[in-house]
Amino acid sequence: MNDPAVRRVLAAFLLVCAVAIFAAIVAARNTSRAAATSDWVNHTHAVINEVEGIYSSVRVGEAALRAYVATGSATDRGAAREAFEEMSEHIELAKALTRQEPAQSEQVLAIAKMTSGRDELANSVLAAARSNSLESARALMARDDGLAVAAEIRRAVGKLRDDEMALLADRDTRAYLQAHTTRWIVWSGVALNFLLLAGAAWLIRDDLAARRRATAVLEEANARLETKVRERTAELSSANEQLSADNLERRWANEALEHQVHYSDLIISSVNDAVLVLTKALNISRINPAVVRLTGFEAPQLVNRPLRSIVTLRSQDAVAPAELVDPVVQALREGRDLRDLPAVVQDKLGRKTAVHCTVFPMRDRDKVIGGIVILRTASPT
Amino acid sequence: MRPVSISPPTRGRSPNPVARAAWIALVAAIAWAGIPARARTVTLRELLDEPRMTPKRFASNFDDFDFEAHDEVQAPDEFLGSRKGDCDDYAILADYVLSRKNYHTRLIFIRLVGRVAHAICYVNEDRAYLDYNNRIFFVTLERCRPHLREIADHVGDYVQANWTSVSQFTYTYKEDRKHFLLTVVKTDPPDSDIDRDFTY
Repeated sequence: MNDPAVRRVLAAFLLVCAVAIFAAIVAARNTSRAAATSDWVNHTHAVINEVEGIYSSVRVGEAALRAYVATGSATDRGAAREAFEEMSEHIELAKALTRQEPAQSEQVLAIAKMTSGRDELANSVLAAARSNSLESARALMARDDGLAVAAEIRRAVGKLRDDEMALLADRDTRAYLQAHTTRWIVWSGVALNFLLLAGAAWLIRDDLAARRRATAVLEEANARLETKVRERTAELSSANEQLSADNLERRWANEALEHQVHYSDLIISSVNDAVLVLTKALNISRINPAVVRLTGFEAPQLVNRPLRSIVTLRSQDAVAPAELVDPVVQALREGRDLRDLPAVVQDKLGRKTAVHCTVFPMRDRDKVIGGIVILRTASPT
Repeated sequence: MRPVSISPPTRGRSPNPVARAAWIALVAAIAWAGIPARARTVTLRELLDEPRMTPKRFASNFDDFDFEAHDEVQAPDEFLGSRKGDCDDYAILADYVLSRKNYHTRLIFIRLVGRVAHAICYVNEDRAYLDYNNRIFFVTLERCRPHLREIADHVGDYVQANWTSVSQFTYTYKEDRKHFLLTVVKTDPPDSDIDRDFTY
């Protein structure tokens, strides 16, 4: 439902449904109205039929009555009786049919009043014929102005029929218009729904095309990405190989360096003379085992101690201790060697041992960074 | 329906008297069903003397009657003897017989558009009416609510026709005349129906 295309299509279908429901409701209502109008048309025909039946019954009844008076035939008498009974039925039904229409009802009542006179006459004639003779019945008929009354009834019936025909025309027009409206609504609804469905189809088609385009773009981007990934993987693989080679070389170099350091230590340790490595400030930074044997100090006890704490140049015994190492300082500053200078080493117990001191400046790229002191025990003379 | 010949079981095969009686009853029933219908013509006296007469039982006597329109209502034995008649004959005879069996019946006359008016006999106790059109069907009683408009609507639906008015009438064979008592017009508002407040 978050997809806008789905929402649009759903909205279109809801609209289609709404239009269809609207058209169906309106069509159903119009159909009901048309059925009601049809009922009214049928009703109008029924009224016309009944009023014409009234007139027809009156004419048939009077004709049969006259025939009976003339011939005395029982058949004619029965026909007359039946015709007037039918007339009564037509009147009653016409009254019922028009009771919701005051104007027509009034007309029917007027007709009924006129026909009641004919019914009374028929009853009188039949009664006279039955009780006395046909002569008295003939006399009754002769006194009756039947033609005038029949004409009056015919006029009233004709008027009512004309009124009903006018109503019929009016109801027929309404029925026609309702049918026309229903057709128009149904076809409009169908057309609108067709348009909406076409719109929905267009939306779906457009959305599908957009999705196909997006898929193509995505596939292209994926292909580019895969190419980049392959290139980057190759680069990383190459770099990794290079790094591995570098690491190997570095390891080899470290191993060579360690070997070299070990070898240097071995060389220094193998020397029987005491060897001390000095910093530029003339502090001891390293010693060989011969120093430990000569002084009795362990390496940690001597490291970072000044050289003068254990070595004193003999020719300068009278000079203040701070100045004893001046020749060494000077030699290092000038970058020259001092060889076999007589000196004294004071061991851990305070015993002094005469030694020959040799100093070499220690260089790193032509820059003196310290010095190496070799103390060789002086031979007894 | 043609008679069907079935051999009863022999004495040796089925000595059980109950089974024999059942066989005889079956053969008799089949033979009765196979007798041509005209051989079982009923009379008005038989209908009136039937002790367990019901609307359904009454209708069952007319399943092979033919339709033949008459201007006048036929006398009962004339109708039953000829086995031909119309809705008037059937409805009026039903009203005549069933009202004598303590049923509350009503004769209803429905005027249909463009057709001959139709008469039925409504039985209040069953909330259903007897219709000559239904005589050949298994369901001979058409259930329907009792007011005239509802009956007319139901009959109109059944014959697929519009009606214009419906009346309740009475008829006696002696007088041979229909007396219309109540009339309902289709286009009138239903609230104004004359039998609207009647309880049947």
